[in-house]
Amino acid sequence: MSAGRKLVSVVDDDESVRESLPDLLREFGFDAEAFPSAEDFLASDALNRTKCLILDIAMPGMSGPDLQRELTRRGTNLPIVFITAQDDGSIRNSLLAKGASDVLFKPFGDAALRDALDAALRR
Amino acid sequence: MNRSSAPNAPALQPAEEIKRLQRCINDLVSVLALPAMWTGSEPSHIARTLLDSLLGILRLDLVYIRLKEAVTEAPIEMVRLAESGPLPEDPVAIGEVISRCLGDDPRQWSGPVRCPLGDGMLSLVPLRLGLYGEMGMMAAGSWRADFPGQTDMLLLSVAANQAVIGLQEARLLAEQKRVAGELDQRVAERTRALAAANEELSRSEARKDAILSSALDCIVTMDHEGRITEFNPAAEHTFGYRRDAVLGRQLADVIIPSSLREQHHRGFARYLTTGEARVLGRRVELTAMRADGSEFPVELTITRIPMDGPPSFTGYLRDITERKRSEEALRRSEASLVEAQRLSSTGTFSWRVATDDFTWSEQTYRIFELDPAVPVTLDLLGSRLHPEDMPSFQQMLDRQRDEGGDFEHEHRLQMPDRSVRYLHLVAHATRDREGQLKYIGWVQDVTERRLAEAALGKARADLAHVARVSSLGALTASIAHEVNQPLSGIITNAGTCLRMLAADPPNLDGASETARRILRDGHRATEVITRLRALFSRRQAAVEAVDLNEATQEVIALSLSELQRNRVVLRSEFADDLPPVTGDRVQLQQVILNLLLNASDAMSGVSDRPRELVIRTEPDERDGVRVSIRDAGIGMEPPEMDRLFEPFYTTKPGGMGIGLSVSRSIIESHNGRLWAAPNDGPGATFAFSIPGGAGPES
Repeated sequence: MSAGRKLVSVVDDDESVRESLPDLLREFGFDAEAFPSAEDFLASDALNRTKCLILDIAMPGMSGPDLQRELTRRGTNLPIVFITAQDDGSIRNSLLAKGASDVLFKPFGDAALRDALDAALRR
Repeated sequence: MNRSSAPNAPALQPAEEIKRLQRCINDLVSVLALPAMWTGSEPSHIARTLLDSLLGILRLDLVYIRLKEAVTEAPIEMVRLAESGPLPEDPVAIGEVISRCLGDDPRQWSGPVRCPLGDGMLSLVPLRLGLYGEMGMMAAGSWRADFPGQTDMLLLSVAANQAVIGLQEARLLAEQKRVAGELDQRVAERTRALAAANEELSRSEARKDAILSSALDCIVTMDHEGRITEFNPAAEHTFGYRRDAVLGRQLADVIIPSSLREQHHRGFARYLTTGEARVLGRRVELTAMRADGSEFPVELTITRIPMDGPPSFTGYLRDITERKRSEEALRRSEASLVEAQRLSSTGTFSWRVATDDFTWSEQTYRIFELDPAVPVTLDLLGSRLHPEDMPSFQQMLDRQRDEGGDFEHEHRLQMPDRSVRYLHLVAHATRDREGQLKYIGWVQDVTERRLAEAALGKARADLAHVARVSSLGALTASIAHEVNQPLSGIITNAGTCLRMLAADPPNLDGASETARRILRDGHRATEVITRLRALFSRRQAAVEAVDLNEATQEVIALSLSELQRNRVVLRSEFADDLPPVTGDRVQLQQVILNLLLNASDAMSGVSDRPRELVIRTEPDERDGVRVSIRDAGIGMEPPEMDRLFEPFYTTKPGGMGIGLSVSRSIIESHNGRLWAAPNDGPGATFAFSIPGGAGPES
């Protein structure tokens, strides 16, 4: 939570992701927060501070794309990197068309994540 | 003559003497003529005319005759008196007087006696009839003193002789008449008897006619030359000839087919010459011929008519076409029974319990591969029995000896070539007349069926595998998710760990923590793979105790992300006190997975209500377990439900349509039941129940 560090938020229902990903993001030099659901993220104050969102696609309740639609509807222009354990190319294209910055398929390497975050933050 | 010129006789004049002699000759002629008058007369008539003639010729005062009893006549006593005489004409009284005068023995009589009769003395001449008076006697008497003169004696003795001749003739005649009468009577009697016999004969003829005409059998009689002498209505009807048309014809030409005629002639000729008969008195079957030339089988009995004279014969023929047909049908039916037993591999047997007598049909012997000539014994049976089935077979025998009820049993045989046969036997208990227990039953070789069932079981396992692979194919994304999730954690943590170790100073606490997470996620991935391997493996059915709560939970774990992706809200309601069932864990999990995915698919188009799926386990009413999966999907109509479990029936595009049919066959092999029912609200519920403790069929 150091000053000057950009906040990257993680929304995923999988606990192991919420455990591991923030540690890696902090090693990259980002500030990091994790939320188990889209609803939790929308309700938090992190929404306004977040510079990049790492978002799981399939979740109980509001899914990743649902959250993307909601954010677009609210007029926020938050860059989103989708992550998913489901290897489905059609979803990737459809999400990119709707403005997603990138879609990563689990498991992904730390370099791929770093590249995706850098690209998202440049937008 | 000289002697008769008695000295006391007065000397007569020559002219007077000539007259007297002439008169005597006349009298003599008269007497000699008497027999001519008597011809055909009876003795009484002879006696009467004799007495009348002598009375007149000799001018007697009394003439008496007594004839002894003869065969044909009563004794006759008769007297004639001169009209002017004083005596009463009482033959009996006069006869007594005469007998007194003459004595009883005719042989003592020597000549005329004087006999006091009435008031005077009568000169009486006794005359024997027959040499010793055996025919009787005669007496001539006169009051005259000169009686009897010479001519009197001559005339009387001639008359007596004549009388004897006449009487003998009469008696002969009477005897002849009697004999003739007797003959007549005998003839009459005989005639009567004959008439009666004739009547009897005609009655018997009538009876014969009645028998002939009403007999169901054809009756044909034949004389010694082979000509037909009788042909009854049944024969007319059977052979198609009028009786009139065949009488007198050769029997052989009429009813024996030409091919057999020669044989008939030979046999007939042999009988007539040697008396040797091959068909006489026996029942033989041969072929006969109708008027239209058609041939048909008959049963024939020939008897010789018991009469003197040339032999004649009666043949009783019966048309046995129907019987032959029945016999043939019976033979065919027996043959087809044997064939049916052979084709169905079914043999029959009987078992008399008290004596352990076994009777086997041909096919039963064939099933056991035993020689039908060998009598069946328990030892023989035991030699074929599969060693492993021996105890249960013995148990069955012991039980059936005591219980005496119908039973079924299945066991195996081990043949000499070590091959194995499966037999199914069904027996029905009966009691014989003595009340002895006897089983009758059939034994079927069900080897083919058992092998087919084994093959079916394998095919079912293969199909189940295919179904599993195809349903797991639908899970690919879900499975990838399940595996990728921990892999993702591992990679992320590994990257973090390396960075922490590379920092200056190294963040050892952070690195340890990330390494611990790597281990945890690695185990998590391993679990997923293990579960998948179990579901994907192709293997024979296994039998174990299965906790359906646990098995269901594993299926849910595998498919959870798939359900999530479909936005299915899953609620599970597991009973705490669920008894274990016996069965194949993987197969049962396959069924649960299949139902779960179907439920999820059924709700894929639902957007106006929660896609709620309730999976519930509970004990059922029969100590078993029921698992139900309830969806809120599109539901289905009952006609559709009936078809759901048919193989290759599907409502899903791209579906193979084997999921539910395989599921049902799996549940049924566990002696359970799988069914579907529409919900009160939206959707349908699929459920199965499995009896507690029951294993699947092998």
